[in-house]
Amino acid sequence: MNQSYQNTAPPDLAHLQATMRTIELACSSIQMHVNPSAAEATILSLSQSPQPYQACQFILENSQMPNARFQAAGAIRDAAIREWGFLSTDDKKGLISFCLCFVMQHASSAEGYVQAKVASVAAQLLKRGWLEFTAADKGTFFSQVNQAVAGSHGLDMQFAGIIFLESLVSEFSPSTSTAMGLPKEFHDQCQTSLELDYLKSLYGWAQDAASSVTNRIIASDSAIPEAKVCSAALRLMLQILNWDFRCSKSTVEIGRRGMGVLGVKNDSYSARKTECNLVQPGPSWCDVLITSGHVGWLLRLYGALRQKFSCKGYWLDCPLAVSARKLIVQFCSLTGNIFPADNGHMQGQHLLQLLSGVVEWIDPPDAVAKSIQNGKSDSELLDGCHALLSMAAVTSPLMFDQLLKPIRPYGTLHLLYALMSEVVKDIMENHTEEETWSWVARDVLLDTWTTILMLLDSTSRDALLPSEGISAAANLFALIVESELKAASASAFSDDNDADYFQASITAMDERLSSYALVARAALDATVPLLVRLFSERFARLHQGRGICDPTQILEELYSLLLITGHVLADEWQGETPLVPMAIQTQFMDVVESENHPVVVLSGSIIRFSEQSLDTEMRTSFFSPRLMEAVIWFLARWSCTYLMPHEESKGNNLTIDNFKERQPESELSKKMLFSVFGDNDQGKFVLDVIVRIATVSLVSYPGEKNLQELTCNQLLHGLARRKNVRVHLLNLDSWRNLANAFTNERILLSLNPVHQRSLAQTLALSASGMRNSEESNQFIRNVASHMTTYLLQLSVKDDLKKVAQQPDIILLVSCLLERLRGVASASEPRIQKAIYEMGFSVLNPILIFLDIYKHESVVVYLLLKFVVDWVDGQIIYLEAHETAAVIDFSMRLLQSYSSHNIGKISVSVSSSLRSEEDTEKYKDLRALLQLLASLCTKDMVDFSSEPVESHGTSISKVVYMGLHIVTPLITLELLKYPKLCHDYFSLLSHLLEVYPEMVMQLNNEAFIHIVGTLDFGLHHQDSEVVDLCLRALKALSSYHYKETGAGKSGLGSYASGYEDLAGNSQEGILGRFLHSLLQFLVFGDYSNDLVSAAADALLPLILCEQSIYQRLANELIESQGNPAFRSRLANAFQFLTSANNLSSTLDRRNYQKFRKNLQSFLVEVRGFLRTI
Amino acid sequence: MSDDEHHFESKADAGASKTFPQQAGTIRKNGYIVIKARPCKVVEVSTSKTGKHGHAKCHFVGIDIFSGKKLEDIVPSSHNCDVPHVNRSDYQLIDISEDGFVSLLTESGGTKDDLRLPTDDTLLAQIKGGFEEGKDLVVSVMSAMGEEQICAVKDIGKN
Repeated sequence: MNQSYQNTAPPDLAHLQATMRTIELACSSIQMHVNPSAAEATILSLSQSPQPYQACQFILENSQMPNARFQAAGAIRDAAIREWGFLSTDDKKGLISFCLCFVMQHASSAEGYVQAKVASVAAQLLKRGWLEFTAADKGTFFSQVNQAVAGSHGLDMQFAGIIFLESLVSEFSPSTSTAMGLPKEFHDQCQTSLELDYLKSLYGWAQDAASSVTNRIIASDSAIPEAKVCSAALRLMLQILNWDFRCSKSTVEIGRRGMGVLGVKNDSYSARKTECNLVQPGPSWCDVLITSGHVGWLLRLYGALRQKFSCKGYWLDCPLAVSARKLIVQFCSLTGNIFPADNGHMQGQHLLQLLSGVVEWIDPPDAVAKSIQNGKSDSELLDGCHALLSMAAVTSPLMFDQLLKPIRPYGTLHLLYALMSEVVKDIMENHTEEETWSWVARDVLLDTWTTILMLLDSTSRDALLPSEGISAAANLFALIVESELKAASASAFSDDNDADYFQASITAMDERLSSYALVARAALDATVPLLVRLFSERFARLHQGRGICDPTQILEELYSLLLITGHVLADEWQGETPLVPMAIQTQFMDVVESENHPVVVLSGSIIRFSEQSLDTEMRTSFFSPRLMEAVIWFLARWSCTYLMPHEESKGNNLTIDNFKERQPESELSKKMLFSVFGDNDQGKFVLDVIVRIATVSLVSYPGEKNLQELTCNQLLHGLARRKNVRVHLLNLDSWRNLANAFTNERILLSLNPVHQRSLAQTLALSASGMRNSEESNQFIRNVASHMTTYLLQLSVKDDLKKVAQQPDIILLVSCLLERLRGVASASEPRIQKAIYEMGFSVLNPILIFLDIYKHESVVVYLLLKFVVDWVDGQIIYLEAHETAAVIDFSMRLLQSYSSHNIGKISVSVSSSLRSEEDTEKYKDLRALLQLLASLCTKDMVDFSSEPVESHGTSISKVVYMGLHIVTPLITLELLKYPKLCHDYFSLLSHLLEVYPEMVMQLNNEAFIHIVGTLDFGLHHQDSEVVDLCLRALKALSSYHYKETGAGKSGLGSYASGYEDLAGNSQEGILGRFLHSLLQFLVFGDYSNDLVSAAADALLPLILCEQSIYQRLANELIESQGNPAFRSRLANAFQFLTSANNLSSTLDRRNYQKFRKNLQSFLVEVRGFLRTI
Repeated sequence: MSDDEHHFESKADAGASKTFPQQAGTIRKNGYIVIKARPCKVVEVSTSKTGKHGHAKCHFVGIDIFSGKKLEDIVPSSHNCDVPHVNRSDYQLIDISEDGFVSLLTESGGTKDDLRLPTDDTLLAQIKGGFEEGKDLVVSVMSAMGEEQICAVKDIGKN
């Protein structure tokens, strides 16, 4: 080895042996848990010492202890990556070839993990030098590997070669590559280069290696070493097929045109199929993968293996069988322009070939299921299901169905149905809590159905699904519903209290239900009448059994039917306006009378059933809270789609060609669906019923939080947020009654306060649907007056101090504040005036309460939150004098809060209460910061008639004042709360960026505090916070630079040096930040994304403090002992400030140049500086 | 609607009742509750059902505000719970006697001498140290269900 950089003489043998013993000792003490941290430090020191290669190589070759060899390999990697910049090319190649030779020579070693580690070190180093090595260099390495893989040096070396290639491929693939402290572009270039120049040959090598041993495996009846090589080669092939092929993507466009027409799906749909990745290697791979008969060989190999499963050494889950199956499944996802544009003929052949092999694993389904129940391994079945899923993802439903026809009398969809029904039967029969094979298979098969049906759902249905498919879907849905109902009635009495498990299973269930809905929508003709029948059966049984038998089981069945039906009829609406699902719109063309429309019949029967909950007797005997939850959920979901649908969605523009032809008929059926529950009497009637049901669920189910939440947040809020519904709501007596009950009745005060807030918001929103704005505002006044009047009266009571502390008053005040908050957050231009008046009237009471309740953190928080929401909703509309009033109030609020809390030390006996207290404080402060942030927005968006300045208000001044009040309360301890930290720094960086001049108006204490927090934020783990701090720094320093350039004082004494709180003189803050930023950049750990932001802050800092920068740079250079490092570092610093014609201006182009310079500077020096 | 506020008028003058009834479903985290005759701060509320189609019940975890002990309770959510009347008053500190009692100035000008110094070290150090330095200290006294304790101290000279 060339040791030219090392100061000491090359270590002698004794020295090497001593090092080896130290490392061995450290390794064994780690294993025995004797002082592990010291041992780790020893091992770390090896990898951090300069040029440890000779010692490491010595250990690798001589140590008897595998762990020590493992660590030595790791040390080579760490040191080489770090020192890469100044290793000579020969050194680099020497290290790689040492590792490669080591792997080959010790191929028969028993410690596989050491071999794998060394192989991966070789792969990483090869990648590190990938862009600098010549093609000939790489060729040398690869020919060595190729010889080994070809098997010319025996099985062990063949295996070792394949293992190396595996590491190499995973190192070059972005998702599995190791970080090397280099920019992403480097990894991208490596990936592209390997894909273009080598990947295909590597695949070929693996293929050859596998086929070279195939015959011997097939010939022998027991396990032979060749099997290991073969399965490794299959794994490598699988890994290569998992590659994210990029180079072919650009050419996909051309290929798509040829295929899109005839049913082979093009990849624009692939985004949906999250379950399986499509393999799209591009046309150049056609010969290797398709035309070479490779697939046939693979299937024959697996077929031969299947014969051997009875033999010793082979079984269904032996490594060779597993990797062969995985590879076969992977082949099923092959698509894209690797297939020529021949109307999908070749792809069809390819899939048929695969299917004919796979079908053996899953057909006949009943026999397969039976043998699994009798103890056979389930892996063939599951892999078979995965294969079907992959095929479904690359074909059209029609083509998918046709695939099986040449070899079976039925289509693939039938097989899919038969498989699924066996699986569902197994779930029904063996009802356990545990996840069994049938659960897994059900999920995969459901995904397959989803994949097939998803496409149908977005276009018109009958064009693509063959009629057998429709009947399969109908039968399947019937079976699914049967099994769900059975499961429901079986679980009706189980007392499932495990809340966490419950939450997780709800999400899973939601996904499952959406898949069921897709199946149902594929065969609506059968499935909707089925649901109608099932409902009417349950209703009838409920009434017959009334008073005679326990209805619980039927209730649970109804619960699950409601969930299923809700999913079938309507899509989820989360913030969107859902349309009637396409499948439902286009189905039932022949229905003439709207009353007979199956969807109308189904909806009608559920609504009539729900209506019975209005009857007290019915409610108490049947409508349990849980059933009521399902009813409310269903009504919420259903009403968003069907009740008074939006005008635009009626004339919903469809562009699908084959749909247009049927326009006249479908238009009729669609119109019917839209008009049944539209703006007419029936629509209004249903709306009225729904509002009454909602009222009942709020009034008659005290303490049922879930139900109340669904009613307030989903149902009522969902109604009031839609304009067409709002218009009708206020004409309904039921809605007026609800509003009345809300303002006057005690019972609604016992709702959870959060739901009261939501209800208040909903009521306020509905007001904006009224015809004239005066009426709307009056409605708001009516709703709000009970709250404001009470709070006003309470606040002026003589004995307020005594009364206020009573729990019932506290409860009442908090409920009313929550309600006010609800109204405040409903602010819309139309009702803005009334909401402003409402808030304005309670400003004084709020200050009084803030004082009275200073110890009652819950109330304080509500007070602050109300102000935040109110200001946030109002600020942009306010006129100048109103703004002045609001700002004045906000400042009084801040001051009052601050005076209550600053300097207060409270202590509690219990640590959990103490941490609660911290949390409360954090929430308060976060609210205050939000308040300041909303005040800031007035400068950005303003709808008032005159500018705020006309009343002498300066937003920037005010916000700085606020920050001045708030910052002393924000301790570094509190900044550990991520959200608070984030809010604080975003406000700070916003202020410094927009109004840097205001910083000089802060007093000394506040300024030092802000600087302190910036310093804290710079060292925060969260890169977003660091980014915000860097932006703030950039703002501060560039302000100073520009001001001083214009002959002004800029940051004045803060920049030149000042006295801190204790009276010690401090150097200027810019110099200090320059120092800590340089330290951070050179020695710190940070994400590469931060480098640009850091560059933007560093440039103005350097420009402001050139002499300090020179000093720091010199210190850093002087601190290097090694002269070679010293000169490198000096050059790097030189480069940083002069390369690319960097000038001393702060314009965009200069910033960009400096970013580039800094990036190269860091790549150059970080490697050797960080470890010294 | 405007003349209906008397609906909310509570029995404000009912005297210094120690506890008030409140529906379990409305008690939130960070509120107060009486569990096993002890005033507690609620640190955790969860709801569950008695059987799938039964009624909701609330599970409370509370911490005794005086002793710091953890207590738990399960109540049907439509039933009432007792909520303690927790009062906090600020007094100026006049003296610390040698036997560990403090002397406080009440609003009416009298003194209150029946409270011990707190046991917590931080708070104790703050009070003793601050008093010896001659700072103007205000202590907060928390009282509920007949018990009292000093829970916070604040230096009012500073502001």
